[in-house]
Amino acid sequence: MTLVDAQLLADLHYWYAREARLLDERRYDLWLETVDAAIRYQVPTRYFTAQADITDFGAWTVDRELAQASDVLLIDDDHAGISKRIERLQSGMAWAEMPPSITRRIVSNIEPGEAQEDGGIEVFSALLAFKSRGPDERSFLTAQRRDLLLPADGDFRLRRRLVIIDDTVLMGENLSIVL
Amino acid sequence: MDARHDLIERSVAPDASWIRPDIFSDEALYRLEQERIFGRCWLLLGHESQLPEPGSFFRTHMGEEPILVTRTLEGEVRAFLNLCRHRGAQLCHEDRGVAKSFNCRYHGWAYACDGKLLAAPGEQQLYYGELDREEWGLIRVAQVESYKGLVFGNFDPDAPPLADYLGNMAWYLDILLDRRAGGTELLGVQRWRIPANWKIVAENHVGDEYHVGFTHGSQLTRPIESRAAPAPLAREIRPELGHGIGVDIIPEDLSPGERGGFDEEVNEYLRSIAGEMTERLGEMRPRLFPIHGLVFPTLGMVPILNSIRVVHPKGPNEIELWSYCMVDRDAPKRVKEILVQRSVSAFGPAGSFEQDDSANWTGVTRNTAGHQARKHRLNLSMGLGHEGEVDGLRGEVGLTASDINQRGFYLRWVQEMTGGPA
Repeated sequence: MTLVDAQLLADLHYWYAREARLLDERRYDLWLETVDAAIRYQVPTRYFTAQADITDFGAWTVDRELAQASDVLLIDDDHAGISKRIERLQSGMAWAEMPPSITRRIVSNIEPGEAQEDGGIEVFSALLAFKSRGPDERSFLTAQRRDLLLPADGDFRLRRRLVIIDDTVLMGENLSIVL
Repeated sequence: MDARHDLIERSVAPDASWIRPDIFSDEALYRLEQERIFGRCWLLLGHESQLPEPGSFFRTHMGEEPILVTRTLEGEVRAFLNLCRHRGAQLCHEDRGVAKSFNCRYHGWAYACDGKLLAAPGEQQLYYGELDREEWGLIRVAQVESYKGLVFGNFDPDAPPLADYLGNMAWYLDILLDRRAGGTELLGVQRWRIPANWKIVAENHVGDEYHVGFTHGSQLTRPIESRAAPAPLAREIRPELGHGIGVDIIPEDLSPGERGGFDEEVNEYLRSIAGEMTERLGEMRPRLFPIHGLVFPTLGMVPILNSIRVVHPKGPNEIELWSYCMVDRDAPKRVKEILVQRSVSAFGPAGSFEQDDSANWTGVTRNTAGHQARKHRLNLSMGLGHEGEVDGLRGEVGLTASDINQRGFYLRWVQEMTGGPA
């Protein structure tokens, strides 16, 4: 185990708490300011996958369960895509979010990974997202986020986000909120 | 005539100009659908491209039944109930992959990719060598047939061949499936649950252009006054047999790419295959741009966004939607990527269009279930009596929008549901 810079960890905790609050409060314009212009935001499909062919479990990865490069994802947005997603939520005609869902994002297990060559930091975290549209439409999902954050003016910008949902069949009608 | 028969006939007007909400929530009707619709109709299993080599397999459903689809060592596609013949344990637990055999984890019975029982532990000592392997192979789906890459299954050994079942719909499906010599491939799948009855989803695919201007208002830029006017170059088509498709008729001065609003890279690809399309499909069909459609009962499609989907019922109030992207197999990699990304941004659980669809379907299912709501009829009359024909098109034709295809869907439903035991 490598020791973690306590200041970095504190900075990351603060950044993720603020991000979750902005999204839960639907301050999408402020949230977009935390997103880098070169963002890639992806949510892959996931499959129950054989283990029988694995002899070396050191080589096991969750990635084996995820959609491969040429496959279909659940979300595959660049900056224009994510901006359109936000515009839609603000259009007044995104009926799946009219009135807006009540949400709570709990972000935990924040773990800085490798520092990248361009100064970016890979960050793993766990997400619990709750969405309520009244007593008949309540859903939870949990996921791993694998982010790449770029330090910028004493802050971070989100350059890459891979959200690995902990289900193969998504429950809860749709994915109408930002994860 | 039993009570169920009365309920069926009471649920849909003789001309299908109305339906009753019971059709979306009644438990007895739903049970009967499993027997008479999902037990007798041709249902999409998947695509040959999902089974690239001998031993390839994937799991899916036919109605509520869990199904295992395999490619045998001889290259044939087969489908089975995904259960062991010994005690009925679930046989295959992986979503997809390649296997030499399927071994039940309960007592160890092993089956070949063609469904034959290969071995049971203790065959000689415990079964005294008396277990008949031939008799105890996997339970096969009675009929499996492909139509130009798409693989269908049917539980009914007496069901008509797939080509007869598709009828005139095949002529339209060819615009997607047969436009290139290399055919198509299916990518995906996105899977998600929606608390909705399967028929409200199916009827949306078969013919509902009316909802587009309102449900999908967040995605449209044209003025709201124009959204309920008949689209001059689009038609809803009821080929026959409960299937339906909506097409745009591409004007002479536009290329298909321009009509579809694709990126230039895709337009260039479409221009490059125009000659091949005309050679394979004739002059008329390359000028038809399929927008949406349904092969009865549950194979939906939104071809303008490369989306192919199956509505798997999970009870009267629940579906599991499986959504794939279908692309020309020989299209350049970059073109496939653009089309897939475009599809995913609009369709699927996070799609800018489909999020709002699922909200509607859920609302219909929930809010029509009440005792009071079920006393009243729901309107399906748009364009009734104004169905016509168009030179060169196969089947009856209505305006975009019209309920012509939804009426065809529900009339086929009544026909299947009242057909009695096969």
